Amino acid sequence: MESPKQQSSAFSRELAANIEDFIAKLKRGELQGSKTVALKTANLMRHVVADSRWDHAETLKHLLKTVGRRLLKAQARELLIINIVCRVLHIVSEAAPQINSGKAAASTALAVDSGLRGAETPAMGLGSSSMSSRNLADQVSSSLLRAEANLYHTKSDIISEINEYITEVECAEDEIARNALDHIHSSEIILTCGRSRTVEKFLLTAARKRKFHVIVTECAPLYDGHEQAKALASPNIEVVVVPDSAVFAIMSRVNKVILGTHAVMANGGLIAASGTHMVAAAARHHSTQVMVCAGLYKHAPSFPFDDDRFNTLMAPDAVLPYGDASLVGAVDVVSPRYDYVPPDLVDILVDDNGGHLPSYIYRLQQDLYDNANDLAWNIPDQ
Amino acid sequence: MTNPGSDSGNFDIVEHYNGLLKENSSISSPVAAVDSLVKMIEKQHATTMLEFMMIVRTACDKLKKATNNSISLSAGCDVFLQQMARLSHAQSVDECRKALIKAGADFVQGAGRCRDNVADFGSPFVRDDQTILIHSYSRVIMGLLRRAVKQNKRFRVYITESRPDQSGLRAAEELHQLGVPCEVILDAAVGYIMEKVDMALVGAEGVVESGGLINKIGTYQLAVIAKAAKKPLYALAESFKFVRLYPLSQYDLPTYRSDLLSFKDKAVAKVDWQAELARSNPMLDYTPPEFITLMFTDLGVMTPSGVSDELIKFYLD
Repeated sequence: MESPKQQSSAFSRELAANIEDFIAKLKRGELQGSKTVALKTANLMRHVVADSRWDHAETLKHLLKTVGRRLLKAQARELLIINIVCRVLHIVSEAAPQINSGKAAASTALAVDSGLRGAETPAMGLGSSSMSSRNLADQVSSSLLRAEANLYHTKSDIISEINEYITEVECAEDEIARNALDHIHSSEIILTCGRSRTVEKFLLTAARKRKFHVIVTECAPLYDGHEQAKALASPNIEVVVVPDSAVFAIMSRVNKVILGTHAVMANGGLIAASGTHMVAAAARHHSTQVMVCAGLYKHAPSFPFDDDRFNTLMAPDAVLPYGDASLVGAVDVVSPRYDYVPPDLVDILVDDNGGHLPSYIYRLQQDLYDNANDLAWNIPDQ
Repeated sequence: MTNPGSDSGNFDIVEHYNGLLKENSSISSPVAAVDSLVKMIEKQHATTMLEFMMIVRTACDKLKKATNNSISLSAGCDVFLQQMARLSHAQSVDECRKALIKAGADFVQGAGRCRDNVADFGSPFVRDDQTILIHSYSRVIMGLLRRAVKQNKRFRVYITESRPDQSGLRAAEELHQLGVPCEVILDAAVGYIMEKVDMALVGAEGVVESGGLINKIGTYQLAVIAKAAKKPLYALAESFKFVRLYPLSQYDLPTYRSDLLSFKDKAVAKVDWQAELARSNPMLDYTPPEFITLMFTDLGVMTPSGVSDELIKFYLD
């Protein structure tokens, strides 16, 4: 790996300062909320593309990866950074196909020389079909493209793609909310857990046409369920706030559980606010449908091989106030921020394109990310 | 067997195949099958495409018939046949043959990398202080555990004895050499030990379209117990072991014979039960996809439903 000095020479002073600033904010934990982190990371990535020196998509990808690694080092548990960096890497490979297929084009040339048509000697074996399906015409035209590749155009293409992506992240909630009327029916009783802007938009959109009840769990120790209840208050929604301990008792009356989440893993599992697993388990016990609203930017291209790797601990003050001096010294208080919810407790995941089964998520992610490479990339160096 | 007008008759593909497996214990049967087929087409001189394809098909059938364990072998043959079908649009037989030989040779060379790739994707799942249960001997599991040892992870392994060939002992010996604490358990002790286990790893003879797998007998019961105990079960397989089968029960496997565990004739006065045990028991069973948490393949980590995706991508391309 390059030393920080070497890589910083590729960045302008302003960009380097920008990166440092972002890293400092991450380290201090100033950035909260998946959307904020996602947007900030995407903006930084755009800045890297626009304002650093590169003459080749591979160089750019390398730069993005080094920046991504530094961000991850600052906040290793933040999945959203991985998502955004991987997505931007994917955008770069899509926007610069000539670089990507440079190797393939070269081998085509060789194959043609030896009297074999390159497109007709695809690699044998599964998983190589994407290579073989790229026909000769594509390869030739892409190599031509490469010859006249205009770096300036590539750059502005990539930037406009990233801009589009940023808009997509910004509007994710509205897009998801467009599905609301398909899922929420009149006079249903819906249970939700804590504060989620995506769920708020979703329910409020449905409330324009339908009348229903919403039960909000207060989600101790943050108690952000109160905030959610306030946000949901509207003529068509009757909101009830219940303590977390009442979830199981009340579940038998609930028609549907609608949850927000921090991130969605590749197997369809969730990294969601602590307390969500309990709600999902109670719903399973009562065979209540569990629906999860999550924008595509929350999809993380990794598998939960370690339940604790993506969790963080919050200040325990909310659980046991520091004022209780006699107790504070005597007990360990732990207040985790997230729960891992296994995919078999989730019935449907709703994103911008509609509903998906948890088992379909990894497939969806193949379109979003250069999957295999990304996985190898975000596994921390052992 | 009829040998349509060529001199490939003096090349015995079955012999070559068996020789390959014997001299190199690390080669998998699909790879050996492709290698044998490549050698075979190198040696024959068919002049028309039809004849060429017929010779290859006959050779595949011959291979499948000659071995009693044809599942993973047929995966290799299918990959080869599919490749041939793709290449059959070539202008001449010679061109097709050349391309096929090249693709086949590349495949055999690349196959060595597959196990490394599985280890790349799977090794993060092995963590310090874990207790792992593995079934039978599997080269790809060994590759993964070897990688984990290289990453300085400390873990313990329980290995099933895996009757009747006791291949678990071989796995135990190899792990012992690596310095991994391991213990061989009776096949009947899987339920007893499950409580102490953090995850179970199984290899596969073949991965079928439903996402389930065909593996050494005992895998199914292990999977059922793992599921009952809510322990994750990870299946490891190279992508060339994906086969186009859709078994609906244990008795749908191509290795099924009607004399397996069929009741004895009452008229026979004395039965040698010990000898019967080995003769009439199956060597493979089928594990349905709902018992498999995730699959580690060289294409990445996937849910069992991902298998059919990959198969469709390859065979309907």
